[in-house]
Amino acid sequence: MSRVSIIVISVIVFMFTQSGISYTQPDAATIERAKKILRELDDIWRGSSSHTVFTMEVKTVHYTREMKLEGWSKGKEMSLVRILKPLKERGTATLKSGNNVYSYLPRTDRTIRLTSGMMMGSWMGSHFTNDDLVKESRMEDDYDPSISFEGERDGMKIIEFTLTPKPDAPVVWGKIVAVVLADGYIPLKYYYYDEDMNIARTFIFSKVEQLAGRPRPKVMKVIPADKPKEYTEITYEELELGIPIDDDFFSIANLKRM
Amino acid sequence: MKIITMASRNVLRNWRRTLVTTLAMGFAGLIMILFASLMEGLLQASERNAVAMDLGDIQIHAYGYRDDPDLYKLIKNPEKIVKAIKAAGLYATQRLYGFGLVASGSASAGVQLRGIDLVNESKVTQIHNHVFAGRWLDKNAPKGVVLGKKLAKTLGVKPGDELVFVGQASDGSMANDLYNVRGILKSVGEEIDRAGLYMIIKEFRKLMVVDEGAHEIAVMRPDRSTDLVAARDKVASLAPGYETLDWRSLKPVIARILDLADAQMIIMVSITYVAVAMIVLNAMLMSVFERIRELGIMKAIGVTPWQIMLMVYMETIVQIVMASIIALLLGISVSYYFQGNGIDLSNVAEGASFAGVAIDPIWRAYITPEALLVPIIFLFIIALLAVLYPAVKAAVIRPVSAIHHR
Repeated sequence: MSRVSIIVISVIVFMFTQSGISYTQPDAATIERAKKILRELDDIWRGSSSHTVFTMEVKTVHYTREMKLEGWSKGKEMSLVRILKPLKERGTATLKSGNNVYSYLPRTDRTIRLTSGMMMGSWMGSHFTNDDLVKESRMEDDYDPSISFEGERDGMKIIEFTLTPKPDAPVVWGKIVAVVLADGYIPLKYYYYDEDMNIARTFIFSKVEQLAGRPRPKVMKVIPADKPKEYTEITYEELELGIPIDDDFFSIANLKRM
Repeated sequence: MKIITMASRNVLRNWRRTLVTTLAMGFAGLIMILFASLMEGLLQASERNAVAMDLGDIQIHAYGYRDDPDLYKLIKNPEKIVKAIKAAGLYATQRLYGFGLVASGSASAGVQLRGIDLVNESKVTQIHNHVFAGRWLDKNAPKGVVLGKKLAKTLGVKPGDELVFVGQASDGSMANDLYNVRGILKSVGEEIDRAGLYMIIKEFRKLMVVDEGAHEIAVMRPDRSTDLVAARDKVASLAPGYETLDWRSLKPVIARILDLADAQMIIMVSITYVAVAMIVLNAMLMSVFERIRELGIMKAIGVTPWQIMLMVYMETIVQIVMASIIALLLGISVSYYFQGNGIDLSNVAEGASFAGVAIDPIWRAYITPEALLVPIIFLFIIALLAVLYPAVKAAVIRPVSAIHHR
């Protein structure tokens, strides 16, 4: 064994034993509080059901595109998104129902189910993958939250959470670091880390305005870490939460109908 | 001359043993000729499938495209380059590649779209002659596409069926359209069989919003016996700023397998012939021991050791020549039969491939001068080596003790 690897191993061993010693078990109240805030974050754009109109701007080195979309959701299992603009793609719709994703293509008047091979492909040319849509989950279900920082940063009172995936959670991320305003729990930034704990993408939230009865950020920008010049920006134009909506609404038949 | 006459007489003296030895050698030679021509047939078919169906002799890409093929790594002025290569006396064609999903009914599969120029492609590759069912592309039927064999099976489609394609066009929009299956290809290679979807280049440009440029230019020499490296250098000089590689560098594994085939052949031949050598050694040793007194007398009347050795060698050579005639006559006729009537592997090796190149379901032999000569030359070498010991043994006999040998 080379000297370098011995050094590396002893450093790793040291770090593990050290963290074991310094790690203090947070008390039940802190965990409860973290969970409660997380639940609020989960509900910020969705609630039990939602209807929204939003624009999406995608900028890549090869193209820039702007779209206007309309979406509905119920629980975390069902959602439907339809393109309003540009006209060329109007009517193109994506339905998520459980673990399946269907695409309706008005040009061909066909609905296709996306296979696992397509899941890592881009959703409508954006920096979201189809998999993001399927795996879109309530963070509360899949992650154990801990508060890793609380106090003032950049002149704002914030709380920083570190979310580590639960042992059996079907998620692709190594961890998520979420920074929220201490006042009103408004999200500021989410950092997604891959399994090797390298940053994979950053969500930046801005333009906090009154939306569906409370202040929420109107703009969400995603920047992939490997392509810092590219981004996808979503701006919420309308948002209604807790609307009555049937399960039947999220059916393949309804994909075409609209 | 006397020695040859004597050797022939000696050979015929124990004709049963001679017959067995000769037949053993002849049979081994026959098997080796058949093996060599079958190997040759397999290699020829593999090279044809790799080069003449897809690769071409030489390919041009934008740098980096081969490592990470994306829609945007284009050759900027393919028409100009193709024209220049054609002016230099070679065949050339431009191609476009894209990725997406096709669905038919509830089945769907990822595909590699291949946009091809019908006129030029037919000069470079033979893929248009390789249709298993249905027909090849036609410029008057832009919505007709041709699929790889396994892809068609995955989707459960046959010619005439409808397909939906979805993918991401170069402007980020969702490329989608309806197509119909015009043809299904015979097995070519893993990549094309599993995911290949051919369409005419004009339709590709419209679907994927790639107005100009190409991902690949494939070049073929009209005469494949000319120097590949020289042709590659010529093509490279016509496409400055792009990566120009010959098929040996594009598919080094296949090139290596083809190169190693000769060595493989020699190893196989040697192993088989070791058994033959044992038979020859045994037969000749026996014939020498039988004649110890006779050989002693020959030496006593003044025959030199060299002449005796030559005689034993002649006896062997007579047998090898007879064996070679048997091996050649039978070998050529059996190989010729398999050249015309291939071995049908479709039950056992349907869709089999090595190094990503499909193996034809009908395995045909291919007779080349090498396939005939190598087994015969090795038969001579090995048999002559095997007889060295009996020949020396006969040559160094001491006349007095040999005459009294019993």
